[in-house]
Amino acid sequence: MDKNRKLADFMRAYGTIFAGIIIVIAFSILSFDAFFTFGNFINITRQISLLVVIALGATLVMSVEEFDLSVGAMASLGGVVAARMAVSGMPMLLCFVFPVAICFVIGLLNGWIVTKFRVLSFITTLAMSTILGGFTFWFTGGATIFENIPRSFTFIGTKSLFSLPLLSLIMIFLTVLFWFVMRHTSFGRKLYAIGGNETASQISGIPVTFHKNMAFALCAALAALTGVLMASRLGSAHPTGGDGLFLQAYAAAFLGRTVFKEGVPNIWGTFVGAAILGILANGLTIMQVPTFMQDLLTGCIIILAVVVQKIGRGDAK
Amino acid sequence: MLLQTKKLCKQFGGIYALKDIDFEIENGEVLGLVGENGAGKSTLIKILTGVYRLDSGEILWEGNPAEIHNPCQSRDLGINVIHQDRNLVPSFNGIENVFLGLPYEKKGGVAVDWKKMKQRVTAVMEELGIDIDLNIPAALLTPPQKTMLEIVRAMMTRSRLLILDEPTASLTDREAEMLFETIEGLKKKGTSILYVTHRMDEIFRLTDRITVFKNGQLVNTVQTADVNKEQIISMMTDNWVSEKMKTARQFGGSRLDVAHLSSRDGIIKDASFNARAGEILGIFGLGGSGRTELLECVYGHRSVAGGTVAIDHKPVGKASPANSLKQGVVLISEDRRGKALVGSLNVKQNIVLSTIDHYARFGVVDEKKEVSDARDQIDRLSIKTEGPKQPVLQLSGGNQQKVVFAKALLSEPKVLLCDEPTQAVDVKTRQEIHKLLRKRADDGNAVVFVSSDLKEMLEVADNVLIMAGGKTKELFANDGLTAEQVLACCYAD
Repeated sequence: MDKNRKLADFMRAYGTIFAGIIIVIAFSILSFDAFFTFGNFINITRQISLLVVIALGATLVMSVEEFDLSVGAMASLGGVVAARMAVSGMPMLLCFVFPVAICFVIGLLNGWIVTKFRVLSFITTLAMSTILGGFTFWFTGGATIFENIPRSFTFIGTKSLFSLPLLSLIMIFLTVLFWFVMRHTSFGRKLYAIGGNETASQISGIPVTFHKNMAFALCAALAALTGVLMASRLGSAHPTGGDGLFLQAYAAAFLGRTVFKEGVPNIWGTFVGAAILGILANGLTIMQVPTFMQDLLTGCIIILAVVVQKIGRGDAK
Repeated sequence: MLLQTKKLCKQFGGIYALKDIDFEIENGEVLGLVGENGAGKSTLIKILTGVYRLDSGEILWEGNPAEIHNPCQSRDLGINVIHQDRNLVPSFNGIENVFLGLPYEKKGGVAVDWKKMKQRVTAVMEELGIDIDLNIPAALLTPPQKTMLEIVRAMMTRSRLLILDEPTASLTDREAEMLFETIEGLKKKGTSILYVTHRMDEIFRLTDRITVFKNGQLVNTVQTADVNKEQIISMMTDNWVSEKMKTARQFGGSRLDVAHLSSRDGIIKDASFNARAGEILGIFGLGGSGRTELLECVYGHRSVAGGTVAIDHKPVGKASPANSLKQGVVLISEDRRGKALVGSLNVKQNIVLSTIDHYARFGVVDEKKEVSDARDQIDRLSIKTEGPKQPVLQLSGGNQQKVVFAKALLSEPKVLLCDEPTQAVDVKTRQEIHKLLRKRADDGNAVVFVSSDLKEMLEVADNVLIMAGGKTKELFANDGLTAEQVLACCYAD
């Protein structure tokens, strides 16, 4: 009985990381030469960098118990705006900052609609996603932007520093930054308090509306940055290029909820979640498993992780 | 005899909510059930309707033992209850609402036969003399129409006993009149009615007999014609008398002034009072009188329609909890889990929740200072916890409440608004909280204290303000004040 209890506690706290390690070991055994190399691990960090950045934003919004379904569309928009600006010869800094700033404002708008009119964030951001998708299509005429993109624009997305890709460094920097924000600043504390009990937070004098709006705005800004970085990496921008990241971002964040802090969205958890998804995709690709099988496996793993956690907490019926 | 209970007992956490209740209701009578807050009326209703299970005792239905383990069994016997918060689906129309939980009429076993269902509902309505538009959604009905619709629903099946729990709480006089006529009609048809209310004039107007509860026990059942209001009130209370004050308390200047406050939702109609430095002002009222709502209005958590709130003679300005805190007002909410604690956080994080900005420099929280201040509070209030990092919900109820107090005290309030601060805490903690309130007042602050426990009120408060129907009524000095005096004022219509 006691032993079972301990096992349950262990699985609850570290089950997801444990599963991640098993996945790494499995791939290492099955395909040691290709998978278990320094080069490939560096490669994985680059592959997950975009996912991590967008998932950090999703984690912020989830920490106040809301959803932002427009992150994919924000990323697409950010990418094409940045690419178009780069093509027209604008200063590089502006190409990176302007799309992020625009989406920050759109995020504020999301937050304003949710907090002011008490509309479900699910509905608000779904509609916003549709609006942004339509706008992006109009803006690009539906075509991929790839001609005449200056090399300076692709610098960040493709170059490395001390054999570490710049994208990976950005990912690490942002992860540490937002971990610090959520863990050590009053802003982050208030977000968690609001997510835990909005009414109690309000009564305790926390400006709930402001903090929710900021969570939406930061989430949108990070999504736009993801889109810009993606365009920089690929040297092109597609009007639906970021859409696919949306589901992955929430998959990572939900996996992340099962790590470290039980049931609470948290930054390192999200990072681990994205890493597991990335390692899985990488390993399966190396083993030449078709994409549909990858999707199938990824979905199963997410359900498994969440179910195991629920059983551990004794929530299951 | 329609329904009879024998030695009915129900405990919650070792405390009797009902003890040895021998309750009876005759066929076709209207029985009034009265008692103070927490006397056990709601518990009895919940047992009769299968929401709670009885611990011991027996229920007899027409003389035969009856088992009521769930709401279905209760309804099958013919017991229906109409609550103060009405149980209708707002978007459903009258017919759909009436047929909630009843099998729909079907055409050929598949399609719903709306026509036939409407006929059945209309037939019942005609029988009861009720006229409601069945085609509009329930959300568009007036409060009495909603109650009527619930009565129609109750009468669709053979309802033998109809329980009305504070049915007129949100009705105007004329609306209530419509309801009374319906009740009299039901009685003529032989349905027994258990009428639960705080309103004495309704009890005397409608009932044949009155049963009085006090502290979970049945005090007496009397013929309505044989008694008057004063006799009923004196049966409801032990008539505690507050002790004479040993030394005359000196109060300082007014710290909180509230004038003609009203809430946007209409629950608070007109409230005025002030609380002075050194004073514990008690606010007492019956269930639904608006005590909680008044404190929430003062604190800025509930939307205010009119009136003013001033701290140290300065208007508070913007009505919001954040602003109130800044001005030195703190609310300890009655709903600990819902409105006071953040369950996902630990003890320390809850204690510093209101004051977190004081611990942050450029937004970065000084965790060492936070922990040491939290430890100070834990020691000062002797909160039993493994440490500041323990999840707050692992604490006992009394210690959770102390965490709420610790949070409030860290912001050094000038005005402390406490709503049922000793609710569901152990005896020791209760005394500690009483002491703490007195200390707070003695330090030159004002304490506003709401409790539905009249005995506690007379023990703790310096002055007692009565609330009824969303308005503040009389203010008593708690100096030889008796429970009867207080209740008489509450029940005065």
